[in-house]
Amino acid sequence: MRGAVSIRSKSATVSREKRMNQSLWHNMRLYWPLYIMAIPGVIFLLVFKYIPLAGSVIAFQDFSVFKGVLESPWVGLAHFQKLMDYPDFIRVFTNTLILGFLKLAIVFPVPVVLSLMINEVRNALLKKGIQTALYIPHFLSWVIVAGIAFDMFSLSGLFNVVRGWFGYDPVLAMQESTYFRWIYVFTGIWRDAGWGTVVYMAAISSIDPQLYESAMMDGATKWKQMRYVTLPLLFPTILTLFLLDVGNFMELGFDHVFNLLTPMTYSVGDILDTYVFRTGIQQAQYSFATAVGLFQSVIGFTLILIFNKLSKKFSDGGLW
Amino acid sequence: MFMTRTEKIFEAAIVACLCLLSLIALVPLLSVLSLSFSSSRMVDLNEVTIWPREFNLDSWNYMLGRADLWKSALITLVSTLIGTTSALLITALLAYPLSKKEFKIGGILMVAVVVTMVFKAPLIPYFLTVKGIGLYNNPLVLIIPHVLSPFNLIIMRTFFRQFPKELEEAAFMEGCGYFRLLFQFVLPLSKAVLATLALFYGVMIWNQFQHPLLFIQNPDWFPLQIKIRQFVTDPNEMLFTESIMNIKYNERTLRAVTVVFAIIPVIIVYPFLQKYFVKGALIGSVKG
Repeated sequence: MRGAVSIRSKSATVSREKRMNQSLWHNMRLYWPLYIMAIPGVIFLLVFKYIPLAGSVIAFQDFSVFKGVLESPWVGLAHFQKLMDYPDFIRVFTNTLILGFLKLAIVFPVPVVLSLMINEVRNALLKKGIQTALYIPHFLSWVIVAGIAFDMFSLSGLFNVVRGWFGYDPVLAMQESTYFRWIYVFTGIWRDAGWGTVVYMAAISSIDPQLYESAMMDGATKWKQMRYVTLPLLFPTILTLFLLDVGNFMELGFDHVFNLLTPMTYSVGDILDTYVFRTGIQQAQYSFATAVGLFQSVIGFTLILIFNKLSKKFSDGGLW
Repeated sequence: MFMTRTEKIFEAAIVACLCLLSLIALVPLLSVLSLSFSSSRMVDLNEVTIWPREFNLDSWNYMLGRADLWKSALITLVSTLIGTTSALLITALLAYPLSKKEFKIGGILMVAVVVTMVFKAPLIPYFLTVKGIGLYNNPLVLIIPHVLSPFNLIIMRTFFRQFPKELEEAAFMEGCGYFRLLFQFVLPLSKAVLATLALFYGVMIWNQFQHPLLFIQNPDWFPLQIKIRQFVTDPNEMLFTESIMNIKYNERTLRAVTVVFAIIPVIIVYPFLQKYFVKGALIGSVKG
């Protein structure tokens, strides 16, 4: 009896699958141009996204280019074990966490404050001018930004000129580990904070003007309007962006860090991304570097999933 | 509008503060610009801040006379043009079916796209894959890996979805196929989103650093960003041993020239950038 039931249900699934396939086939025959169109994009996703993703298995192998993925010996979690015992790795991981934290704590709030301030400027031309000036750096590559930074922080650069006005001795800031993190934060703000206001300004412009009118009726000053009308209504946007940023905690920007790094600042500025580049690409320790990368991807993936869920729960935003 | 005295002060303080910040945004650019036009003597004396001293064009003459800089710029320009065009084409070709209800595998494909945004492959397998398909030391690596960005794909799909259906249905009745529909009706009416995405792709390809760093070892194929990186980090790259006494440039003024050289194209297209990027950033925040 039980056997009969299971056979019947099995045949039912088979026929459903068949029907699905048939209708997919039917759909393909009917709308074939759509399928043709999708081919280049799908091939792209396979080659540049999914094959590398599958290639992550080399983290569990002693991969050699000559043997390939299929022939290389499997070593299980050996590379992950090695990674945990490695003082270098602990340092790099700590650096990543510190920079990620600084980015959230210092870089993230700047666009919010900027937007609140820009919103108070009533002269349209002045407002436009300020926005234009603040957006420009966003379009410069990190190579350029770092090139400018190396000049500004050189012995005779602007940074030391200003220090000189206050009677301080010049320092080689780019080559000293004490300054690296602050330079990372400062260049991050310089390049992207202005641009970060775009989304907030849009959110502010969608606030109902009547709210301000009634606030003014009640005698609210500009400051109080900002504090009790604009900021609370901006809060859902801030929260969404904040949660997404926490989800991207591990993404510090390879280009950003790599271009600012000098061998003298490795102790504080070497992050997972740059470490993977050095050990993996330059020293060709493929499996080990993949293990580091996979470790990072898994943390990143978990963070994104958690914080995307949270951001959906607390506000209407989210990545998907 | 009636304003109290304290409010006026409040606003004035904010305006002053913002002007100062705008200045901070611009000062580094002005400083490099003035360095590039100053004499090495004044630069060495620390006399140059944001205004050129002993104005001269020697640094520019020297750098603009270097064929390798122009070659790198040309490589970057060509790859940006070809890359942006093919990226728009391939993105549109995938976004269009994805926007259609009758495209049966659309739902699964969308999930597959989002998965790539969340779960990123580690660098090494990516490197080995791209190397494996023959893009190592191949200038095509400046283009092909950038022809589809999931983020831009979603923006375009969202746009196509908002398209009035009646128009397409009418064309469909006339016996117009999907390809003609896309190229003759949909794309010509999508100029706004195409411009936005062209700039997204264009800026990305123009500014790209990691791909050439990973894949291009042959100096003949160095794009502009790598060339500038070389100038910034390796002074030997910059100066040929010239022992002429009265040259007005040094390593620092020349470096400033290369930086400004790479900024100029960005400044030229900046008005478009600002207009369409703001639009794009906003379309992007409304997800489909």
